[in-house]
Amino acid sequence: MLTCKEQVARSSDYLDGQLTFRERLMVRHHLMFCANCRRFIRQMRLMQATLKMMPDAPVKNVDALAQRLADERRKDRKDGK
Amino acid sequence: MAAADDAHLLERLLKGEQQAYKELVSTYQSAMRAVAYAIVGQRHADEVVQDAWLSVVRNLAKFEGRSSLKTWLLTITANAAKGRYKLNRREVLLDDLPSPHGTIGDDRFSPDDGHWAVAPYAWHQDTPEALLTEDELRDCLEHTLLSLSELQSSVLVLRERQGLALEEICNLLTLSLSNVRVLLHRARLKVFATVEHFEETGEC
Repeated sequence: MLTCKEQVARSSDYLDGQLTFRERLMVRHHLMFCANCRRFIRQMRLMQATLKMMPDAPVKNVDALAQRLADERRKDRKDGK
Repeated sequence: MAAADDAHLLERLLKGEQQAYKELVSTYQSAMRAVAYAIVGQRHADEVVQDAWLSVVRNLAKFEGRSSLKTWLLTITANAAKGRYKLNRREVLLDDLPSPHGTIGDDRFSPDDGHWAVAPYAWHQDTPEALLTEDELRDCLEHTLLSLSELQSSVLVLRERQGLALEEICNLLTLSLSNVRVLLHRARLKVFATVEHFEETGEC
């Protein structure tokens, strides 16, 4: 059976589906019997969801950049590209 | 963004519609910046993104939709970054910088049997929405993200925030799968330690 330390070491690969079938079973088996590791994995998932939901820093000068890019494109277009 | 949305946006971009460029930049610049940041570092990331945008516009008519628009933009960004700066990161690749709240390290486990010596603290909140209502935790997370090495932080952002597949990250950053896995795991444990610390002490 995996130790908790080994389970934690494999946790990212477990969450990313990078484990072999056998390794995956070993992690599942450990989780079945270990409440602390179940909590750890649950909170890892919560941390992932939280990162995903953090708002993006707004892009600086988005209008100026958009205008510059649009101008470039119109120029190319006039040249028939 | 789905393929149909890509196609519609592309049509407007080709016409030179400014609003379409605004949408493009707002939607994709963060992901592009993460790619540039990983390859050339913080100092040059913004220049590379600017270069990449110009290159995107010049090549717009050649985009054939064989990949998603996002993949295409990120590939252009990676190429702009690699073309401009010589890659020299062998020694920094697996640098592990200290993080404000540490990580889930060996000291959390019993040296005798590998079980938790200090069990994971039970967080009070159980949804991301609830966690993020705490402004202080948000600042705290941003602080931790900034403390990560450029590669760790970019790999984390590309995976968790941009939802890229591991293989896609490997290709863009020319990293091996095993390196991406190590970078990602170390970054996650540090972020985990930050949330845990905040939940336990209520401060950053």
